[in-house]
Amino acid sequence: MSEANPPAESGPVPAPGLPGSSGLPGSSGSSGSSGPRRRAFLRGAVGAGLAGAAAGGAAAGYAYRSGRPAPSGQIAADDAQIGRLPAVPFHGRHQAGILPRPQRQTAVVSFDVTADGRGELTDLLRTLTDRARFLTAGGTPPPVGIGAPPSDSGVLGPTVVPDGLTVTVGVGSSLFDDRYGLAGRMPAGLTPMTTFPNDDLDPAQCGGDLILQLSAGHTDAVVHALRDIAKNTRGGMQALWRIDGFNSPARPAGTVPRNLLGFMDGIANPDTGSTAEMDSLIWVRPGGGRPAWTAGGSYLVVRLIRMFVEFWDRVGIGEQEGMIGRRRDTGFPLDADSLYASPDYALDPTGDVIALTAHMRLANPRTKQSAPSRILRRGYNYDRGIDAVGDLDMGLIFTCFQQDIKRQFETVQTRLIDEPLVDYISPFGGGYFFALPGVTGASDYYGRGMLA
Amino acid sequence: MALVKPFVPSRARFARPYPGIVACLAASAALALAAGLSGCGSGAAAGNVITVTAGACGTGWQDPKPGLQTLRIYNGSSVGGEVDLIDPANGGIYGEVESVGPGTTAAMPVNVGSGSYAFRCLLDDADPMTGPVFKIGGHVRAAAAIAPVTDNDLIEPAKEYHAYVTAGLIVLAGQTRALAAAVQAGNLAAARAAWLPAHLTYERLGAAYGTFGDFDDEIDGRATGLPGGVGDPKFTGFYRLEYGLWHGQSAAELTGPAEQLYRYVLGLQAAFPTMELSLLDMGLRTHEILENALEFQLTGTDDYGSGTTLATTGANITGTLELLQVLHPLLVSRYRALPQVYVWLNRLQSLISAQHQPNGSWTPVAALAARSREQIDAAIGQALQELAPIAAITEPRTT
Repeated sequence: MSEANPPAESGPVPAPGLPGSSGLPGSSGSSGSSGPRRRAFLRGAVGAGLAGAAAGGAAAGYAYRSGRPAPSGQIAADDAQIGRLPAVPFHGRHQAGILPRPQRQTAVVSFDVTADGRGELTDLLRTLTDRARFLTAGGTPPPVGIGAPPSDSGVLGPTVVPDGLTVTVGVGSSLFDDRYGLAGRMPAGLTPMTTFPNDDLDPAQCGGDLILQLSAGHTDAVVHALRDIAKNTRGGMQALWRIDGFNSPARPAGTVPRNLLGFMDGIANPDTGSTAEMDSLIWVRPGGGRPAWTAGGSYLVVRLIRMFVEFWDRVGIGEQEGMIGRRRDTGFPLDADSLYASPDYALDPTGDVIALTAHMRLANPRTKQSAPSRILRRGYNYDRGIDAVGDLDMGLIFTCFQQDIKRQFETVQTRLIDEPLVDYISPFGGGYFFALPGVTGASDYYGRGMLA
Repeated sequence: MALVKPFVPSRARFARPYPGIVACLAASAALALAAGLSGCGSGAAAGNVITVTAGACGTGWQDPKPGLQTLRIYNGSSVGGEVDLIDPANGGIYGEVESVGPGTTAAMPVNVGSGSYAFRCLLDDADPMTGPVFKIGGHVRAAAAIAPVTDNDLIEPAKEYHAYVTAGLIVLAGQTRALAAAVQAGNLAAARAAWLPAHLTYERLGAAYGTFGDFDDEIDGRATGLPGGVGDPKFTGFYRLEYGLWHGQSAAELTGPAEQLYRYVLGLQAAFPTMELSLLDMGLRTHEILENALEFQLTGTDDYGSGTTLATTGANITGTLELLQVLHPLLVSRYRALPQVYVWLNRLQSLISAQHQPNGSWTPVAALAARSREQIDAAIGQALQELAPIAAITEPRTT
């Protein structure tokens, strides 16, 4: 969480009161004579976008309206809770949300495109680009005067803060049917998601023409972005399924966040700082008979995986650790005494220390042959209520990026078929997508190459 | 397909010695220390690091004190193994770390009271070794040791269970033959009536799934995970027939699957005498059978049309009770809360039986009154909580 380059967190003083209380004609009187009127609100909002604002402005806004200053302790506490995240630069060869470590909050939403023809599809992707460009940078939504309802939901206050928002857009194989004349432009190897033997897939939570992943530092920023995008694309696409996720803080600090089985997850990932490794594992390269427009993109696999946590919690620690291959408390491989140590399977050919069927060992055998199948895991936990028998419905939004789904995810997943862990988890949804190349500048938009 | 695959735990000893002890990296030790997870080198200074070597089992417990604490077990030998904290008088176990690799440290959380303690080491290719006795004075009561269960202790229960399954398979063969005959004769009403008792007979054999191997998928496999779903040619057995019998498929269409089911059962019956029941599975299955009932029957997932998943749950309870019966001599002295297991299983059984209608039909879970469903789900959840310790207690251990 870099503190560098903090963005404007909220509007200037005087800032508006609570939305709704001061916005209706005649209502300002009830909130005190010092409450700003509607026109003042709009002017103030514009000013915020131009001038930026000091930290603590939100609290000051309350103070202004209520006529008493907020205690400095409260402002400090609110600030600490906000934890300002800088804007993530939107333009680039690759989409900005692919390489960074998972953020605190995410929403993964799959849509079917309802645009009528290629022109409308282009409009949709242009609009999506414009919204993503604005939301990730932050700023003041344009005033509409008396001409329309407010252009922004106000969920983040009068000035939209970036809060580290990243927008990742992918397309599914179903987009390349006969509706938009894209059949000849399908990304190489993009297919509907394979059903694996231990899957229990719900068709209503699988696939989609377009996938959107919104990640940020806080839930309000994610929800704000989703509402903004949805209202601006109503006629062009229709949500098919959605799941929200969170990423836990590393506990203890300095380690790796844990999944809901209690184990640290994502310890051994490819090195995102290595251009060579990213070029050989993550980014689609030009040439090789692949459609030229796909260069710079990456394939995204989403798997929604329920974890039967009640069952898991009734399993002994030795068995849990044996199934994973790591200690639950420290995250160390069972054969090593540090978190990032590489397990030495060559010294343990019969699996006496780390079982041959341990999840970690099957997923990544760490051989020369298995190296090209490595994937960049970017999973989030999900927690969404209860199931039909009152058990907790929680698990993992497994997402990974790769250059080639067959060579990477499917190879890994094939090794994992019938692993002992399968009794405690159940993949029920997700899909295969192609994460589009990045938007390179102000005149570029998502999928321009695909539509050209 | 109540298939919970047996996890073969890392109780096996290291096959061959490691060429050397992995050195502790300073960085990792610092990290571990910062994380409050002391071990390896720097951990020694923090106290409570117990060292195991080829010649000495469990040294370094400085000034042992009563109370809740986490001992760090450092394996300084060149092979892996298991380390237990025991009562030297009778071998009862207070704490255990399975599979500590050479050069690694594992946490052993324990709650010790006044009394005598020693570490016991089961290193690969070596005789069990018991270290020096540590005495803790005073009058502090703490957790009781549990006597280990050995392979030998489990042989008789396994034999009894094997006999139970053998008897069940004889009944099953007759029932699936009758079922196939009814389908072949075109009497689908009779086939529907014959399907349930046959399926319940199979579901009562729960503990043996791990040893049935592929037969279980063939006899009781679900359509999930098959690319073609309920239309997939690999969808066979009871659920395949249930789907057809309750979805208007014709006798001609179902004759093949019904005969196939009967053949699979005969195959299983022929193979079973030489199938060995895993001793480890005996304990695991005491909760796993009902874990599957909760996941697949009480959710309605495994209802392919007959609406009898509550009956299946009842059969699963019977299978669980049979297992508990054969394990009872081992549990009665080791598991103080054992009576609670029966309290909750009996309550669950009563709640399930209440859904067996006078006309012989069963309430489908989706049609349960909300209150009834809550009571059933609560009872199975609590029964599972009470059952869970049994797998840990009856895991076969070397002494």
